[in-house]
Amino acid sequence: MSKEDFYTPTDLDRLRMENELLAFEVRFLKARSGGQPEIAGSPISLSRMTYLEEAETDLKLLLRRIQNSPLGPVARTNKNFRTLNERYLKQPDKAMGMSPAQRTVYLEGAERDLVLLLRRLGRGPLGVVFSRRKSFRTLQERYL
Amino acid sequence: MESIPTDRPEHPVFYAGRFSEEVSGAGLPGDHTVLSDWEVLPAQLASALEPASILVVLDMFSFPFESLAGDLADVPLILLLPTGLDANFLATVFGTAAFSRLGYFDRVAAADDDLWDELRRRYDLAQGQLVEVEDGRPEHAALEIRAALEAESMLYAPLGEGAYEANTYWSERGDALAGRAPHRAICSVNHGPKFNKAIHRVQEKALSPQFAAARGTQAEEVPFDVLEIGAGVGRWAASFEPAKTRFTGVDISEGMVEAARKNFPQYRFDMLGEDSVLPYGDESFDLSFSVTVMHHNPTPTKRALISEMWRVTRPGGHLMFLEDFVSGGWSTTSTVYPMSVNEFVGLLVEATAGQVVLEHVESIRYQHDDFTRGGLLSVSKLGVARTW
Repeated sequence: MSKEDFYTPTDLDRLRMENELLAFEVRFLKARSGGQPEIAGSPISLSRMTYLEEAETDLKLLLRRIQNSPLGPVARTNKNFRTLNERYLKQPDKAMGMSPAQRTVYLEGAERDLVLLLRRLGRGPLGVVFSRRKSFRTLQERYL
Repeated sequence: MESIPTDRPEHPVFYAGRFSEEVSGAGLPGDHTVLSDWEVLPAQLASALEPASILVVLDMFSFPFESLAGDLADVPLILLLPTGLDANFLATVFGTAAFSRLGYFDRVAAADDDLWDELRRRYDLAQGQLVEVEDGRPEHAALEIRAALEAESMLYAPLGEGAYEANTYWSERGDALAGRAPHRAICSVNHGPKFNKAIHRVQEKALSPQFAAARGTQAEEVPFDVLEIGAGVGRWAASFEPAKTRFTGVDISEGMVEAARKNFPQYRFDMLGEDSVLPYGDESFDLSFSVTVMHHNPTPTKRALISEMWRVTRPGGHLMFLEDFVSGGWSTTSTVYPMSVNEFVGLLVEATAGQVVLEHVESIRYQHDDFTRGGLLSVSKLGVARTW
């Protein structure tokens, strides 16, 4: 049994959860001040928006990793991959200039694309190889 | 049974003022300091109180209460009531400067029960804030207070056997400490009163405005119905005005509930069963809140408690949670079940079917931490009241 009520979190968990808490507070304050009317006062929207933003980040990281891997040249021959690349990596600032409503639609699209990509990668001939990687399994657990 | 080794960093500082010679010669045992009236001049007070775990004021007439500001306000006080004076006189002289500033972690040492009762009524003090002394003379009272503090710090809190189980742990810990060391039964059991008072101050700073906001524009003649989950010895009951509030607290520890009833006889305190079902009807309260309770419980218990809090709160009423949302990984020996704010909000939405609106979010950093650990969430309940 712990002898310390005020436990000491591991750095990684602590940072993640602390960032989440502070981001949540900032998002709430923005919503209250009228900065993002679509999420004003709704805990569903607040947590959902955070989730969607994380999905977008994960999608970008996954695309970059595929592109820089030995599979990159093969992946680039695929039209769908090129479309995703174009949409999420080549126009990084596009989402910043969107209205709140447009940004929500964009982020929901990113979440859908991530789910489809993970399914396709998991089922393809290289699915077994991908599944050996812990980071890939983490993404599968989180989004599938 | 394994126990928490309670810390003993106790270093009480006795302000003896005009009685410093008598108190110094009284043979106080253990680590302590005795201050004379020259040592509490404004320029010296901060350094004089630096090592203090608690400040015992034995000579109220010469102590500069107005100097207890900023971090010095975190030092818990024990005020020895002067003998031979009545409550009216004491209230006139010390009402504003001392008594009205006493918080839950401050106490009063009194040899006269009637005098204590009168002051308690006037300043809404809790019974647990009394340190009984048989002899009110400073040199004798100092010995009794020193012995009482020593006994409190020596108490052991049972931890239970094996893995942490929330209900067992908190009911046993509450039963062990509530009656004899109520100020250690809340916040952190293995830290001294100064640490716990400072924790309380940070929490109070966040909660007080939200309590006021929850009352809102409700007419003063209409009682404000408040429910606290995990009320312990009732420390948050002192934050509400008795004349305008019907405060109810629930706890799983019988010892805690008994202590809370003694502390605040004007309020109601009930036992909470292991099924987490609140023994109240639907829509009975304007405000339901918990302070550092949820993060000590596993997800199914959290869900059940939130659902029950929502049920007993009136539409338009508030639910508040002051919890830790930043923590490390869970283990069988940890007393904390980590849950990030997003996960908690997800659970809140699930347990209330989304019938809440977020009203306030505030992150909280405690003074001993180098990171933000806590957060306060306030939501209002949607819906139309069944009865008007």
